[in-house]
Amino acid sequence: MTKSIDTGRRVHPGAEMYAREHLAGKLSRREFLTRATALGVTAAGAYALIGVPRPAQAQQTPVQGGTLRIQTSVKAMKEPRAYDWSEVGNQSRGFLEYLVEYQRDGSFRGMLLESWEANEDATQYILNVRPGVTWNNGDPFTAEDVARNIRGWCDTAMEDNSMAARMTGLIDPDTGQAREGSVEVVDDLTVRLNLSSPDISVIANMSDYPAAITHASYDGGDVFDHGIGTGPFRPVEMEVGVRAVIERATDHTWWGTEVYGGPYLDRIEFIDYGTDPAAWLAAAESGEVDLLYESVGDFIDILDGIGWTRTETVTAATLVFRTNQVAEVGGRVPYANVDVRKALALAVDNATVLELGYSDRGTVAENHHVCPIHPAYADIGPAPFDPATAKEMMDASEFADFEHELITVDDEWERNSGAAVAAQIRDAGINIRHTVLPGATFWNDWTKYPFSATSWNHRPLGVQVMALAYRSGEAWNESAYASPEFDALMAEALSIADADARREVMAKIEQKMRDDAVIIQPYWRSLYNHHNGNVVNAEKHPSHEFHLYSFGFAS
Amino acid sequence: MALFILRRLGVMLLTILCLTFVVFFLTNLQPNLEKLAKTQGNMRMTDEQVEIWLANRGYDRPVFVRYGEWLGVLPGWVGETSQGEPVGRCTAEGMPPLAEGEAPPAFCGVLQGNWGWSTVFRAPVGEIISTRLGLTGILMFWVMVVMVPMALLIGVLAGMREGSRTDRSLSTVSIISTATPEYVSGVILIAVFASSAVGLRWFNGTATSAMENVTFQNFTLPVVTIALYGMGYIARMTRASMTEVMTAQYIRTARLKGVSFRNIVMKHALRNALIAPFTVIMLQFPWLLNGVVIVETLFNYKGFGWTLVQAAGNNDIELLLAVSVVSVIVVLVTQLISDIGYVYLNPRIRIS
Amino acid sequence: MEPLGWGAIAAQVFVQFTPVWIGMVAVFAASIAFKRRLGLYGKLFDSTIGMIGFALVLFWVFTAIFADGIVTHDPLAQVSGLKNAVPGSPVPEGTEGGAYYLLGGDNLARDVFSRMVAGSTVVMQIAPLATLFAFMVGITLGLPAAYYGGRLDTVLSFLANLILAFPVILLFYLLVTPEIVQTGLPSFMAMVLFLFPLIFLGVLFNSRFYTQPAKQKVYLAGIAGIGGLLYLSLISQDRTPIDFWPDALDLFDIPGGILIVFVAVVFVNSPTVFRIVRGIALDVKTRDYVAAAQTRGEGPWYTMLWEILPNARGPLIVDFCLRIGYTTILLGTLGFFGLGLPPESPDWGTTINDGRRLLSIYPHPAIVPAVALMTLVLGLNLLADGLREESLRD
Repeated sequence: MTKSIDTGRRVHPGAEMYAREHLAGKLSRREFLTRATALGVTAAGAYALIGVPRPAQAQQTPVQGGTLRIQTSVKAMKEPRAYDWSEVGNQSRGFLEYLVEYQRDGSFRGMLLESWEANEDATQYILNVRPGVTWNNGDPFTAEDVARNIRGWCDTAMEDNSMAARMTGLIDPDTGQAREGSVEVVDDLTVRLNLSSPDISVIANMSDYPAAITHASYDGGDVFDHGIGTGPFRPVEMEVGVRAVIERATDHTWWGTEVYGGPYLDRIEFIDYGTDPAAWLAAAESGEVDLLYESVGDFIDILDGIGWTRTETVTAATLVFRTNQVAEVGGRVPYANVDVRKALALAVDNATVLELGYSDRGTVAENHHVCPIHPAYADIGPAPFDPATAKEMMDASEFADFEHELITVDDEWERNSGAAVAAQIRDAGINIRHTVLPGATFWNDWTKYPFSATSWNHRPLGVQVMALAYRSGEAWNESAYASPEFDALMAEALSIADADARREVMAKIEQKMRDDAVIIQPYWRSLYNHHNGNVVNAEKHPSHEFHLYSFGFAS
Repeated sequence: MALFILRRLGVMLLTILCLTFVVFFLTNLQPNLEKLAKTQGNMRMTDEQVEIWLANRGYDRPVFVRYGEWLGVLPGWVGETSQGEPVGRCTAEGMPPLAEGEAPPAFCGVLQGNWGWSTVFRAPVGEIISTRLGLTGILMFWVMVVMVPMALLIGVLAGMREGSRTDRSLSTVSIISTATPEYVSGVILIAVFASSAVGLRWFNGTATSAMENVTFQNFTLPVVTIALYGMGYIARMTRASMTEVMTAQYIRTARLKGVSFRNIVMKHALRNALIAPFTVIMLQFPWLLNGVVIVETLFNYKGFGWTLVQAAGNNDIELLLAVSVVSVIVVLVTQLISDIGYVYLNPRIRIS
Repeated sequence: MEPLGWGAIAAQVFVQFTPVWIGMVAVFAASIAFKRRLGLYGKLFDSTIGMIGFALVLFWVFTAIFADGIVTHDPLAQVSGLKNAVPGSPVPEGTEGGAYYLLGGDNLARDVFSRMVAGSTVVMQIAPLATLFAFMVGITLGLPAAYYGGRLDTVLSFLANLILAFPVILLFYLLVTPEIVQTGLPSFMAMVLFLFPLIFLGVLFNSRFYTQPAKQKVYLAGIAGIGGLLYLSLISQDRTPIDFWPDALDLFDIPGGILIVFVAVVFVNSPTVFRIVRGIALDVKTRDYVAAAQTRGEGPWYTMLWEILPNARGPLIVDFCLRIGYTTILLGTLGFFGLGLPPESPDWGTTINDGRRLLSIYPHPAIVPAVALMTLVLGLNLLADGLREESLRD
């Protein structure tokens, strides 16, 4: 734990304000922790601010040793900045660590950073690098490594670098690289970030899975082959679609042993059982794995039934049905027409989709992609549901006879939700067809599908997803939504550190999203996983992360 | 005979050539290449980026030329990426490593022993095929061990006395088994013998662990699933051939001479009755390949069939080509063996 | 309302199938009464196996025909609260359709019974028709290959063996993916494959009425007119590269998925039929009546279609029955890999694949279509067996 409070350093005023808000009941504890820790207050410090003792981590300490077998997809490794799956991050998480780690309780804790501080308007961040960290080839880990990685994140010339969108405050729009002087190395253990505009999500972004920290000698390609990292494990074997194996690096002293304890396991195997949950169940029943990456839908009950231990986390993970506003279908561009989009949204009752598609394991969402658990959520009421009006609107548009095609991937809950959405649109009297594509085929062209579903992971702050997914021209904006008004509102929101002040802007953003019918967003998912009862510290993480150093067996 | 085999080998070669070209052509159609670029690069690439990606890897040249290069009859492609870095087929990933200062070979295709690079698995195709084929070999071996004796037994017992009650019930069993495809029987077997719902849990519902260590528990269900479907057909063929033999003149003569029924079946009928099933068993191999694909997918056993699905689903061109070559060879070689074996076992047939 | 017990479910299901029972009784009564005048078909009723097989097949044929009257619910309608409902669950008041989910609900709360019945229509539309088309292709190519022999035979046989050397699943993966559909390849294949029935019928009547020019012209014009219109309506599809035919004359559009599946299945089956036809024709060709026809000066097509083909019909009919079963299995395989038909399609392969995911707790959504598929294939096999036995008795 860092000692920023104990050593008498000033607590960020924003954090103190949040503490007051929390105590006044305006802010849930979870939101308070997320926001306070993002501003550089430690979790312990944050608990102290609101006068609550930090809940003792009730887990038992795992025993040393053992091989943990995890059911998960095994995907091809890439350059970390281009990671597009949480699973890829997990495969390398044993040896490529992150600056900051997002905790299950919504707080952030330092990994390669010992602590951080933000100035009042969130335009300057001081990052304190953890002393005594070494790479597994013996090189010391310094502020220079941190700065190099951050500059790398700012490289917009690398076309599939998704970190660039998260680091806009550091990027010079003319050169497409890190702005001169934006990333300063103050001394061996200190880095200062100077942002061009306030950004409250910098620390949160550093915990995202593409933000893995790589060594100076790494030059793209498969990180499993390269193998140099700071983590306690080393890569052993990697066969895409089959399995990946990492083992304890015995010749490397890991910094975290003294700080957080661990690692406990000798060896971790990631085994791929395909995308069919029935196969995961079979693997669990036959004892071929100890831990499931995620349990979905009806399988949650079944796994409970076979005596596996369930863990749950409430998240802002969601499934979004979006139209692509520039997609052409037979020479026409149906979803450029806002009435068409609105009609589709009006025809769908979100609660029914939650029931049929996700067995009611979540909360109903409101078609604007801001979750009640996000700090600045503004309640603008439930999404309207009116099939009769939907039919009228569709008939009034030039696309009355148009047959919509909803394309979803062949995943248990995504296809079920897709079927439920399609059935409701059909019930409203609108012509629609539902196509389910196998995973391998679906992902090839998915950003261009005219009407499709995208699954979004949980992110700690509401603005993070919105900035990534709905601003004009963003890499992850597959709805092709382009609204200058929305962009301006987003810029405003991103500069307001105070959640209450931001909430007013968020209300406008949410209303704008709904008025423009950018998405149909039926529900927020709760996430689950199961283990065989003997695994410790492997509770489901809201962002699907495996904190492998803490995993272990109870006996 | 030698000439006959030679001619058959020639036809086989021609078939492989045509077939690989068809596969090559289909997998290299523009939409398939785009799909490849997106899975390999990233899913959010624009059309221009896709074109550059394809050009950088030499995918934008005529399909015939590239087929020639894959075969190894045309010199491997050499070019430059849009960033000006030299690239080429013979220096790409997966090709044999070069010694310091050694120039890359001009030809590097199948004829030179280079099967290429799998884009899905990021490994040399030759390596993947051999491991995966080995795993499927184990599966097939056990399928044969279970299926053939069972099928022959049922067929012979049923055909021994045509029209008897044994015949009727065994024939019905074999018809039912041919009418139940693997995806039906596999599903039912898993539900009954591997799920907690029924509670028997005798076997595992997945065969992933069998890749390292075959046990009775993890391998029974996949083996039985394939064997059941193939069994019915062989049994019916055996029965037909057995009934035919049992009505033949020499059997009647033997019976009239007072040879016991048991001896007639064992000594006289069996040998002749097994000629037809032999050819059928051989011709079953290509059929079993289908079953293998379904069962390996169902039970998550990562063998050849699973590789086929992965390669085809992801448009992994070179892997898919190798998969087709292997399966064609399996189909044609088994046909050849069945023809030769037929001649060998049946002295009445001569090859003109 | 109380859920139904098993006895009540069986009774209700039996009642729902009333039109089928009536149809079957009528067919059986008529057939048995006139069986001596009905040739091979009549003889079928001398064999128990054949009769059982025929009954099973007939059951599914009538189910497919009367599906609209048999279903209790819309096979695509989802009724809230009936997700994975057990067989015999009552439907909430006020929903359309019957009062019960007779065989339960599936994981999207659709009626399993109605889906199974509706699925029979899909299967019965595709499987026999695709097999028939495959036979026309196989016969049109197989007869001349055997009759003329020589280079034609070599080339055609090589092509047939080439297609047969492909593992079926690989072929499906190459032909039925959305990317290939985008290129329009299946549409072009449909263009070629669907031409064969036209050629077949054209040649058939042309050679028959060669000596009666008046009749010949009428028949040929009929085939060219009706067949041509059907052909063009069939191959011309909206949203595919082949969309030239004016919509006014386009009688019907086959849903995208079905056409592709249909083409793929015909393509896979044709070479096998070709080999069978060629084999039988090679044998029949040496008979005296063929030589007689040749001496009479009949044209080659007349000899092939009106002398050789009728004498090869026995084994062909048997194989036809078996092949429909095989095609049904193939359709299921496509569904199993999620290729081809749309996911909400009630056809049995797709529903089995859907249901198998939750098989261990809710077996009914998978078992019902699985049993349906098994009985149909079994019926076809038994029917083929019966036909074979009876035709051998000649």
